[in-house]
Amino acid sequence: MAELHIIGQIIGATGFPQNSLFCKWGVHAGGAWRLLSGLKEGQTQVDIPQTGDMAYWSHPIDLHYTTKGLQGWPKLHLQVWHQDSFGRCQLYGYGYIHVPSSPGQHRLQCVTWRPLGSWQDQLAEMFVGGGPQLRSPDLIYSGADRYRLHTVGMGTVELELCVILRHFDRYGVES
Amino acid sequence: MADGWCTDTGESVYRSRDAVKNLRIRVRIQRVTSTAALSQHLHQQVLSQQDRGVIELDTFSSQTQAASTDAEELVVGWQEKFFSQYEVDLYQTESNCQTPLERQYHTEIMAMERSKRRQNQRIFTYTDFDRFSKWEEQAQSLLIPAQSTPTFLAERMANVRHRRQERRPVESVVPKSRLITWEPSEEFIKNSHIINTPVQTMHIMGDLGPSGKLGLKENEYILCTIKADGNGVITIKPDFNNNRGAYRLETQGEKREVWRLYLENASSDIHAEEKEREQRMYRDLYTRHKDYLNSLVGQDFEMVRIIILIQTHFSAQGYEYDNLYVHFFLDLPNSKSTYSQPHREGKNISKVQSHTYTFIMFSTFFHKEDESDGSLPQWPVLYFKVLSLDFWQRYRTEGYGFLVIPSTPGYHRMTCRTWRPLQSGTVAELRRFFIGGAPELEDISYVRVPGTFKGKRLSRFGFRTQTTGSVTFTLNCIQHARAFIDASTLKKRRQTVLDQLGGHSQQGSVYNVLEAFQRARNRMQEARETLPRDLINTSAQLNSESSA
Repeated sequence: MAELHIIGQIIGATGFPQNSLFCKWGVHAGGAWRLLSGLKEGQTQVDIPQTGDMAYWSHPIDLHYTTKGLQGWPKLHLQVWHQDSFGRCQLYGYGYIHVPSSPGQHRLQCVTWRPLGSWQDQLAEMFVGGGPQLRSPDLIYSGADRYRLHTVGMGTVELELCVILRHFDRYGVES
Repeated sequence: MADGWCTDTGESVYRSRDAVKNLRIRVRIQRVTSTAALSQHLHQQVLSQQDRGVIELDTFSSQTQAASTDAEELVVGWQEKFFSQYEVDLYQTESNCQTPLERQYHTEIMAMERSKRRQNQRIFTYTDFDRFSKWEEQAQSLLIPAQSTPTFLAERMANVRHRRQERRPVESVVPKSRLITWEPSEEFIKNSHIINTPVQTMHIMGDLGPSGKLGLKENEYILCTIKADGNGVITIKPDFNNNRGAYRLETQGEKREVWRLYLENASSDIHAEEKEREQRMYRDLYTRHKDYLNSLVGQDFEMVRIIILIQTHFSAQGYEYDNLYVHFFLDLPNSKSTYSQPHREGKNISKVQSHTYTFIMFSTFFHKEDESDGSLPQWPVLYFKVLSLDFWQRYRTEGYGFLVIPSTPGYHRMTCRTWRPLQSGTVAELRRFFIGGAPELEDISYVRVPGTFKGKRLSRFGFRTQTTGSVTFTLNCIQHARAFIDASTLKKRRQTVLDQLGGHSQQGSVYNVLEAFQRARNRMQEARETLPRDLINTSAQLNSESSA
């Protein structure tokens, strides 16, 4: 069996309409993968940047997977939420990114999108906030039903991941 | 003689996991005078003539010992208190002792005087508990001219460092609740805002006054400063001599005298059996942990013929209209290949401002079951078309493009420009603008090489297109093939895939035979060496006899 280490951090997010943000993240992998150590999901703190636009979380990610096959390579999915001064949380974007398959250090940008409702919903959203959310977060990283959605692009989440592969070459995998 | 001075008096840092109380340092000081120089010169002469056995050493060593107050040697342990003459004089009178520490010194000194055993004359120590360490760090300035007041940080740190004398284990547990202390106390601020690794200091001092006039405070000089902190870091300034020559100390008084200083590590080593036991324990621990991890990981991996795993993200930019969606599919060239992945085709609608991106991601995984030897696999090609659908339900084609999946595994980022077909005349463009609807390609493989193409030259004469925006792909490719395993054991890692899959079989077999032969030969040689000599000889004799 081969092993994969993912060591890195969710650095922060930028490009969103408001910048008091937090992020819920998770890693999803296929059936052949097993998590040996590390937390595979979590939620960052709420960051309110004083200067500049980027909200910084520096949330650590440290995972150790073992696998029997290549299918279901781990994917990191994110939900970026905004918390306003009244404590209300509003969804700002869904996004996902594949864990890179080549070893080394990677600086990644995960772009996010938000589902849109009808124009009445959008008008209401402007005043009271809220907005449609996905019923099941699996849709973030699967593509089957995507064509039924209307979405709008939102900001970017920056990540830095270091990938270490072990024993993949023993089984003839080149990466 | 005196040319071998060591001028490097910088501190050096040692790291040790053993207890610092085992540290022992041998200190030797020697005054440089004319007689001392001469005796040393003669000493060296003697040493060089020693093999002739001309002069005995005893006579000369006694001469150097005559000036006993000009030289001294002492082995100092960690925080071992040796008293200077000044301290002995001071603490002998009971009225001078105020703190319990001083009273303890008093009792020790009285005991020492009674038993008349005094190990040191000139060399003495200041331990961590003496006032000297605090004074030195706090009041002595690092600058010339000396600064009268220490800086704010120096003040804070001086108080904190010396208070935390005991070893406190580092707490690595993060509390789950009450992470923030809203009203920190003064004590808390002092402990948290400042570096407070507890450091224990010790100074080895020398009283370098003229012999007979020991015990004056002005003649005290620091010979060596040792700091040990709780993490096993030991700082020694200056470092051990290590055959670099003596350190040079110059006194400041009227008569500037030069002294030689030697520092040597006299700590005793760990016993061999204890060391062995410790190493064995570590080794057991590590192998057990490794076995445990291995058992979790397991041994199997699915074996396949060829798999190419691709993960893609892409974004589109530079298009005329917003609300783009992309329709893509992956063409697998060999008709006999099968693929198993959930979405080979996909669409995603995304509203976009003019310069931001649409984002679509998919991951495909294609695998070829039969590998007919000799045929190189053709790499899959990703075809895509970008379309726009706006609020009024107007549907337009925005662009066509294709991308050949790269043949090297790894991370790739490429940009593909797209084009859309044009029809001659203005009617088509007007229609596209007002109502939507535009010419589309019937067969998307026309973008690259049409599936129905047979022949040598592809002609697109008469086909008019217009360049539209571009799509950027970020791909992570992994290739998995059985052939790669054999290649790696042959230690040919850097060959390209084509070499490996194509010419591998022929080269591989020849190399395999050579390797097997080499291995057998090595084994035979080893066996030969282990056999006793006479056996080989007798067998040779037998052979010769039999042949004869």
